[in-house]
Amino acid sequence: MRLEKCWFCSSTIYPGHGIQFVRNDAKIFRFCRSKCHKNFKMKRNPRKVKWTKAYRRLHGKDMTQDSTFEFERKRNKPERYDRNLAENTLKAIKKIDKVRVDREARHHAMRMKGKKAMERKEAAKELEQSIHMVKAPAALQQEASLTLPKIKVKVSQEQSQENRMEE
Amino acid sequence: MAASSASKLFRAGRSLLGGLKDPNGSIGLSKDLPRSYLFSQQQRTFIQMRTNLKVVDNSGAKRVMCIQALKGKRGARLGDTIVASVKEAQPGGKVKKGQVVYGVVVRAAMQRGRSDGSEIKFDDNAVVLVNKQGEPIGTRVFGPVPHELRKKKHVKILSLAQHIA
Repeated sequence: MRLEKCWFCSSTIYPGHGIQFVRNDAKIFRFCRSKCHKNFKMKRNPRKVKWTKAYRRLHGKDMTQDSTFEFERKRNKPERYDRNLAENTLKAIKKIDKVRVDREARHHAMRMKGKKAMERKEAAKELEQSIHMVKAPAALQQEASLTLPKIKVKVSQEQSQENRMEE
Repeated sequence: MAASSASKLFRAGRSLLGGLKDPNGSIGLSKDLPRSYLFSQQQRTFIQMRTNLKVVDNSGAKRVMCIQALKGKRGARLGDTIVASVKEAQPGGKVKKGQVVYGVVVRAAMQRGRSDGSEIKFDDNAVVLVNKQGEPIGTRVFGPVPHELRKKKHVKILSLAQHIA
């Protein structure tokens, strides 16, 4: 039993799944499901199709070089069954997967770094430029909460004096 | 030929249904699918009478037309034997044009299921000419061959092959 990789999307093909296409030059294309197979028949380039691993690696969305990938080499020599070896390999697979997932999460975090600051800056700019779409400029001048705080001028004393004069 | 007629019937059937049930719905559906979608959904079928096959050994024949599939009601598949008539041959070969020969299908465009659940298909339909006993007439085989031939006891062809798929 061997777990293959889909030629189009690079996901693993488990036994019992998928279609193998053998071209006349003896190159074998394996596909995990009919979606990948149909895309191949349409002659689409996986490096240009957004959801494939090939695209993501090419455009830096996913990790390309890592030591955890070295463990997944294709080995053509069959190993003699050894219970200890099998046990250790299974444990190692779990550990390596955990490490790889952590590193991928870190890569993703590094990629998304600075997104919050950029979002806040964009929001402030939009508020400044497009506030006229939410509230009319005339209303802005009347409501104190929406505009900058204004300087208060003392008028009360003069008014009381005028009243006294009228009376 | 069978594939195109099948697709035409399919289209006719859909329009009939449209007339009966809901004219707007199904006709709208058939317009949505672009032309290319219907063309790429080519149904690969069995190798039956009048199927042209490529000959991939050096027996002298180039193209061969199937007369009879020896096993199977619907036609021959990957690994089956057929009776064929030579349509095109090289001038100085072991077989001549118009001769009736037996052949083993080594490549078929129709997918064949494997025992592990996966399916395999090739790019074209190809055949290796054999005699009544199942031994190949030619001495070389070109292109990849499947290892379904091992189960069918065509070991000689496998040994001559360049690449086993």
